[in-house]
Amino acid sequence: MSDRPVRLLVTDDLERSRLTVFFRLLLAIPHFFWLGVWTFGAFFSAIAQWFVTVLRGRPVPRLHEFHIGYIRYATHVGAYLALAANPFPGFLGAPGYPIDVEIASAERQGRLGALLRLLLALPALFMLVLISGGGPSGVGPYWVVSGGIVAAVAFLGWFASLVRGCMPRGLRNLAAYGLRYTAEVYAYVLLVTPVYPSTDPRLPAHAGAPPSHPVRLDVVDDRRRSRLTTFFRFFLLVPHLVWFSFWGVLALLIAVVQWFFTLVAGHPASPLHRFLAAWVRYQTHLFAFGFLIANPFPGFTGTPGYPVDLELPPPGRQRRLVTLFRLPLALPAFVVSGALGWLLYAAGIGGWFAALALGRMPSGLRDAGAHALRYSAQVNAYALLLTERYPFSGPPVEPSDDAPG
Amino acid sequence: MRRAERAAALLAFAVGAGAAVWALWPTDVPDDLELPPLGQADVASAAHIREAERFETFLRWDYVLAEVVVLLVLALYAWRGHRLARESAAGRIGTGMLLGMLGLGILWITQIPFGLAEIWWARRYDAAEVGYLEWLLGYWLGLAGQFGFICLALAIVMGFAQVLRDRWWVAGAPAFIALYVVFAWSLPWLIPDDRPVDDPALAAAAQRYAREQGTDPIPVRIEDVSAYTDSPNAFAAGMDASRKIFIWDTLLDGRFTDDEVHVVLAHEIAHHSREHIWKSVGWYALFAVPGTFLIALATRRRGTLREAQAVPVALFVFVALNLAAQPILNVVGRRMEAEADWVALETTDDPTAARGLFEQFTVVALADPSPPRWSTLLFDTHPTMLDRVRMAEAWRERSEGRSHP
Ligand SMILES: [Zn+2]
Repeated sequence: MSDRPVRLLVTDDLERSRLTVFFRLLLAIPHFFWLGVWTFGAFFSAIAQWFVTVLRGRPVPRLHEFHIGYIRYATHVGAYLALAANPFPGFLGAPGYPIDVEIASAERQGRLGALLRLLLALPALFMLVLISGGGPSGVGPYWVVSGGIVAAVAFLGWFASLVRGCMPRGLRNLAAYGLRYTAEVYAYVLLVTPVYPSTDPRLPAHAGAPPSHPVRLDVVDDRRRSRLTTFFRFFLLVPHLVWFSFWGVLALLIAVVQWFFTLVAGHPASPLHRFLAAWVRYQTHLFAFGFLIANPFPGFTGTPGYPVDLELPPPGRQRRLVTLFRLPLALPAFVVSGALGWLLYAAGIGGWFAALALGRMPSGLRDAGAHALRYSAQVNAYALLLTERYPFSGPPVEPSDDAPG
Repeated sequence: MRRAERAAALLAFAVGAGAAVWALWPTDVPDDLELPPLGQADVASAAHIREAERFETFLRWDYVLAEVVVLLVLALYAWRGHRLARESAAGRIGTGMLLGMLGLGILWITQIPFGLAEIWWARRYDAAEVGYLEWLLGYWLGLAGQFGFICLALAIVMGFAQVLRDRWWVAGAPAFIALYVVFAWSLPWLIPDDRPVDDPALAAAAQRYAREQGTDPIPVRIEDVSAYTDSPNAFAAGMDASRKIFIWDTLLDGRFTDDEVHVVLAHEIAHHSREHIWKSVGWYALFAVPGTFLIALATRRRGTLREAQAVPVALFVFVALNLAAQPILNVVGRRMEAEADWVALETTDDPTAARGLFEQFTVVALADPSPPRWSTLLFDTHPTMLDRVRMAEAWRERSEGRSHP
């Protein structure tokens, strides 16, 4: 998204030093203090900037530079903590860190927008808490424990990096997404840019394209939303939720049978595979409808053809060892899926108001929710033995011709 | 059906219905009972009557207007509602459910002003404690129940219609009657916040009255509603093994004497001993058969209830038929209530307490002792308070005649 005010630059090669990963939180202590000082300065200078912008319609360029430096530095520290980058960051927010942001500042800004900035930012701040627990700030340790997708990624990435000496690309990209959104919100709140933050999950091409995965999400949604069905959306789920619970219990039993079968035969049983595939697809349709990722009322059978649909692989050979340990192996993916679930809720709640007001779903929310749905479907497909390919948590990337020049 | 078959079926139904009415109609109230000529001035003060008339007139018209709007909205929905099928990606039955739910949803919105007006008016007269927001929340939650119910009904009807086409009613009517029985039977377990009776005299009276009315003892429960309302009430629920009597704690707060409460108890036991709940199943069946038939007839032009497009028409016809049947069902209801009053008088031998009860009810409920005839016809499920007092007096005259021949 080259029209966004914040551009993400990823030059990280995924290599991690096990030693610094192990002590990462402690190593970051000096940065916590320094970031705290910087946050203190940014807070008061932002108030000054606010008065100037409201009165003159033009922010002070000097303060702009200061705030951009602050956001860059916070991004570096965030990336270091979330294990999205390897080297110890500098203290000045200088360009060149492996996870970096380029921020386009606006010299003229509407006075009304500036006056109401904090009020307008409330929904974005709400999203920010879900995505990165409020973002890295002077109270760094708070951020680590406060949840959010980035914190979940950091937690899992710590184990993965210690074991493998490198960070899984999916987790790294998910963290990079969270850091970019954080930077966009900060840039908006600090009056660097009047452009509203977008939860659009697409990363620049150089973040590395996700590997092809047998579980694919096809979105052919035109973003139109019926205000009537949006208004009653929650209650329209009533018949589906009843059906969903019955089917869910049955699917659980079938999955147990399938597990034994796959363990013995080395491949899943076709009829059970079909049944579980329909269940995962139905779940995707239902959640897409419930969280406003799609418009029409879904059917009850998980038949393909819904605007947000799932492509699932046919039954194939699966390694018995992977089958045997399927559930423990899926555990980290469930953690990420749980964190991404918040994104789905945020898309649903934010999208509800937006769709009621506009009759359309904002693309940022729609795509963020769709990413959460895709990942959740991949996790379910993995856990229910539809595929042995591990879920990939990284957001989609832009086509490569859009790379920064 | 050919003409001869049709005539035979009609005849069979008419004979069956005639026999059913013949069995359901009679009550214990003597046919030659003459009610003494009391006027409303004999049961309430002039000031009370003036206030009650003002109070009830507004509510009556609010209700009439609301019903007119219901019919208009549903007629419009029957005409254009099928277009909303475009918001569905589900099959026939799923889309039918969506159309049913949206119809109720639209109706729900149009009824909000009338509901708020009713609350506003009742609050003016201290007849309601509920706040506007609280009411709206409850009203909103109630919609979820309505959605669940209409989906169940449509799943049954449309499920049958997939197989039987426009003869679905042949299976649908018995299914609804069965559902009615299930609901009537299980109602006692659906009552929240109930507890056993703590007054031994009341419990003993319940035992005694049941014996005198020739039925097995019926458990009496107290339902705590004083947090929501202060209007007094009691009701009989369940059938056979599930029979219970519920008395609201608002009836026991000292506004009514023990003897008056005993009259209520005897009245509720009479509903059970005279099998009123089974009889209402019979009446329901008597209306369900022609009702479902008429709905099937009305939806033929939209492809019968096999198609989702027929649902808005079915909804309109269903509500209109219900409204049309209401006056007849009210007559039936008033007959049963009169019988329960009569049996209660026979059981308690206490016309003074009965009269006191009805007069106190008039005061507490701000009831018009003798509302206009059209209002009784349309709304009243119980005899007017004046008629109930007159029955108590008629019973007194008879019993005095009996004891002093
Ligand atoms: Zn009664």
